Amino acid sequence: MLIFFKDITKIYDKNQVLKNISFEIDTNADNKDILLRGPSGIGKTTLLRIAAGLERPDEGNIEITMGEAAHGGYGLRAGMVFQENRLLEHLSAVDNVSCVNASVSRQRARAELLEVLPEEALDKPVRELSGGMKRRVAIVRAILPPSDLLIMDEPFTGLDAETREKVIRYIMDRKGKRPLILASHDVEGLPPMRELILK
Amino acid sequence: MTDFMKKIKSAEYKSIFIVLIWLFVWQLISVTVHNKVLLVGPVETVGALSKMFLTEEYRSSIAFSLMRIIGGFFLGSILGILLAWASYRVKMIEDFLEPAILVLKAVPVASFVILLLIWAGNKILAFYISMLVVLPVLYLNTLGGLKATDVKLLEMAEVFRMPSLRRIRYIYMPSVYPYLRTGLQMALGMAWKSGVAAEVIGQPLGSMGNGLYQAKIYLETAELFAWTISIIFVSFLMEKAVLIVMDKTLGRG
Repeated sequence: MLIFFKDITKIYDKNQVLKNISFEIDTNADNKDILLRGPSGIGKTTLLRIAAGLERPDEGNIEITMGEAAHGGYGLRAGMVFQENRLLEHLSAVDNVSCVNASVSRQRARAELLEVLPEEALDKPVRELSGGMKRRVAIVRAILPPSDLLIMDEPFTGLDAETREKVIRYIMDRKGKRPLILASHDVEGLPPMRELILK
Repeated sequence: MTDFMKKIKSAEYKSIFIVLIWLFVWQLISVTVHNKVLLVGPVETVGALSKMFLTEEYRSSIAFSLMRIIGGFFLGSILGILLAWASYRVKMIEDFLEPAILVLKAVPVASFVILLLIWAGNKILAFYISMLVVLPVLYLNTLGGLKATDVKLLEMAEVFRMPSLRRIRYIYMPSVYPYLRTGLQMALGMAWKSGVAAEVIGQPLGSMGNGLYQAKIYLETAELFAWTISIIFVSFLMEKAVLIVMDKTLGRG
């Protein structure tokens, strides 16, 4: 599958946030993962929101080619870690992962969460967890359900160096063949990725 | 006994003591006025209530009004909630309904009662009136709760293609619930007040409003007070029942 982001332009209140951004992702290629970089406010989050189908570009589009067939890309299934955690604060970590995704059982959610969280954190309402723990719940929630694309916006915020390393390993292990678009200021410990720098 | 339990007990005693003082003041005023047409005291009221309670007519009047007012309350609530959902989903429906809701809120209950008496007679007047009074309250409160739902969570649900029923249960309900609870509590009181007022004006035979009216005609002030207390008590019980059921079902999670 070829995902082609073609001349993506986005304007908010006459302020051009993205201008003619083009890149492609070949899901069969080795360099399918993209590290999105650039200063704050340059439009990284906007580009990720467009990739997730939450916003439409004012110009340009996303094209998907599967063999001979091509179609618009807004039907892409994305697993996403947002800039904020966006968890259901009154539910437990297990419920957050399994309730949101119809295809993920509680048993599987529990087993996966145990990879990155201590057992005692799994059944508490997530509002009682630390920022770093919540971040890990958000990451597992994005990774588990089947998707065409993984999108992560500053996923390592609030994680210490050791946890961050563990989480990076977890992501790279579980993402399988899915391409990853990752926006992160801090690239330490990340495997080599193709860089897309927004200026 | 824990400190917490002691605090509750002391709060209960305090409330009971305050109510007793007010009952004493009421009795004192009635003794001072010394006119059983103008004002009766709690003793005469309880006497009248206990006599009424033994009659079949009293019990059937309560059943008559209760069925109609509860029916109107539930239908008005369901319609209010459904219309609020439709307005939330489609802005044009909200714009279209806005004048109608404003009219429902602004028009005096008495005007609706007279109109409905002409159009539909007095048999189920309390049903229509309580429905019309409840509908805008539930509509506005539910819509307020829906609009207050966290957009970021809705986006998350959109990205993960969260099933609709789960969105309602885990995202919309926690947001709407406090609004809905307040709305239902307000609407219940209003349904009773307006429903009985409609019965007083419309005079359907065998209703609580009719009982109230008859007491007024024959200057039976003790009965008038007894009917009023009955209405307050039934309304209070209904409010408690609805809120308990609501808290146990929708209030979880």
